[in-house]
Amino acid sequence: MATKALTCGNADCNLASDRKCVEGYEIDECPHAGRISIDDIPEAEEPDTVVTQPEPTIALASGEALDRYTASILQRRLVSRSIGLIGPNDSGKTSLIAGVYDLLQEGAVSGAAFAGSSTLIGFEKVCHLARAASRSAVPHTERTSRGSDATFFHLDLYQEGLGLTSLFIGDRSGEDYLAATDQISQADQFFEIRRADCITLLVNGAQLADSGLRHEVKAATPQIVDALVEARSIREGCRLAIVLTKKDSVVASRYADRVQKDFDGLVKSISESHGAYLGEVKPFVVAASPKDCENVARGEGVGDLLLFWLHASLPPVALGDGADRGFERMIDILIEKGTEN
Amino acid sequence: MSSEIHLSIVGLPSSGKTTLLAALWHMVREPGSITALSFDGLSHGNYEHLNALAKRWRSGNIQQRTQVSGARDVTMRLKDAVGQKVQVSFPDLPGEDFARMWERRELDKGMLETLKAPALVLLVNGDTIKMPAWVVDRIAMSKRLGIGVPEMEPTEWSADLAPTQVKIVDLLQMLMSGDLDIGGRRLALLISAWDKVEGDGLTPAEILESKLPLLHQYLRYGRDPWTWHVWGLSAQGGVYEDPEKNESFPETDKLRDLERPSDRIKVVDGLAVSSDITKPLQWLIS
Repeated sequence: MATKALTCGNADCNLASDRKCVEGYEIDECPHAGRISIDDIPEAEEPDTVVTQPEPTIALASGEALDRYTASILQRRLVSRSIGLIGPNDSGKTSLIAGVYDLLQEGAVSGAAFAGSSTLIGFEKVCHLARAASRSAVPHTERTSRGSDATFFHLDLYQEGLGLTSLFIGDRSGEDYLAATDQISQADQFFEIRRADCITLLVNGAQLADSGLRHEVKAATPQIVDALVEARSIREGCRLAIVLTKKDSVVASRYADRVQKDFDGLVKSISESHGAYLGEVKPFVVAASPKDCENVARGEGVGDLLLFWLHASLPPVALGDGADRGFERMIDILIEKGTEN
Repeated sequence: MSSEIHLSIVGLPSSGKTTLLAALWHMVREPGSITALSFDGLSHGNYEHLNALAKRWRSGNIQQRTQVSGARDVTMRLKDAVGQKVQVSFPDLPGEDFARMWERRELDKGMLETLKAPALVLLVNGDTIKMPAWVVDRIAMSKRLGIGVPEMEPTEWSADLAPTQVKIVDLLQMLMSGDLDIGGRRLALLISAWDKVEGDGLTPAEILESKLPLLHQYLRYGRDPWTWHVWGLSAQGGVYEDPEKNESFPETDKLRDLERPSDRIKVVDGLAVSSDITKPLQWLIS
């Protein structure tokens, strides 16, 4: 059995070697015996590992949907078209944005080819739940948050004979647009509508096919246009696309004919009310992100709408102050006005 | 007369950047090889890294992953058919650096000069292209096959889930903007692992258009000033072995049996096939 080594806290004591207490105590009684001398404590060694400083980094563009100021800067680069998407909740605004981008993943759409985008991360996020990589059981898109400022998705597109055009698609919660029907002053905040070359009003086809919801859709949808025109958020001469979304749900319903009739009625009603104020009013039917593609193709109708967006042009508008704005650049209109907060 | 030309090799992880360097270094030094650019001589640089890569390549072993941080500078002195000398330097950058640019939206300052090279080699592994796929198409296919849609736990969005072509387009856009914008550049797009995709019977340009249509559109319609050309490249000729896994493949033995290691290389330009791995570099510096 090994003998335990004796130690003493007194540096002058040789207890460890001669087993005698320098102060004459019995070992059991010595108050210092067994204590470790401060000299016995090894000095802490410097750690061998060298802490490496992380390499300085440069932040790259986020790739997210753009705020209004960044969008304005980009709009200076190329001929641009700005699209305002309006519609009640769940009318398919985000699905339409995702649908345009996802069609370009496979090639040019109606002759419009992808030439670049500064919002690829934003697009990828809104496409996620419709992609197989999400492992979702049903295609879906996230709803845009209520109360958030509008953001812009950006695509540079090339058309033969027309060259490059930058497309900026505004995205805002449908609830915010509906709020303007309750209080028209809410429309003041819709800078993405004021800057739009083309307004696109979405009509939820699935809800129009639902007997319990169709009358609300028929009533609420034109009211949004009424409020925005009344508030002069939509500029005079602006072109309007009225889009029946979720064609797959319409086709699958037993009320497909009735839905079409209701939709035609909506288009007629809006045209009659605002045709003189607006530029061209044109209807479209799309299946941007169908839940089932037995009877419709994914992205059906989106190409025609995209061409309408790209060709949208706003004639010069004579404003109330009598000033001729015909020579004003689009960008000056977009970044103007203290009212755009 | 001699000039120095800086090239950078870019590509996502496992796109074949290091294998390209290994095959290139072997070929320009292989006695008797006839290439558009040939070996001109050694400078006072350190060739240990390149020699190690080429040794591994010759023996039919896969390359070790490039160090995850920091670039290994590689310089070769080459000359063209009329004796024009060029010193080509390209850092061997890890693919993780490029993946991080997409996923974390940041770039090491140390990479700045490298990525401002006026001529770039972009490698895309033709065998691992992740194409976009849609839930609705998966459902339709399941119905056609008469099987139910499998129940799976949904996955949260993350940047790494993006299709290959989206990541590459964004990488190229980044190289044309902000601190990295130097104006027009030349881009040699090499679809690597060509031995795995040539069975489709398509030319490299057709593979680009059919498997990477977003990238094809981006390059073709020229918003950003790239002067580009696409090749197919098989820098190994087939499967290599991982010695750490004690792999042994008859196919690798067949490659070893070839008289010249450079015969393993296949460079495809349209319908033309050769083993001259320097051709894309010659195009880049021309």
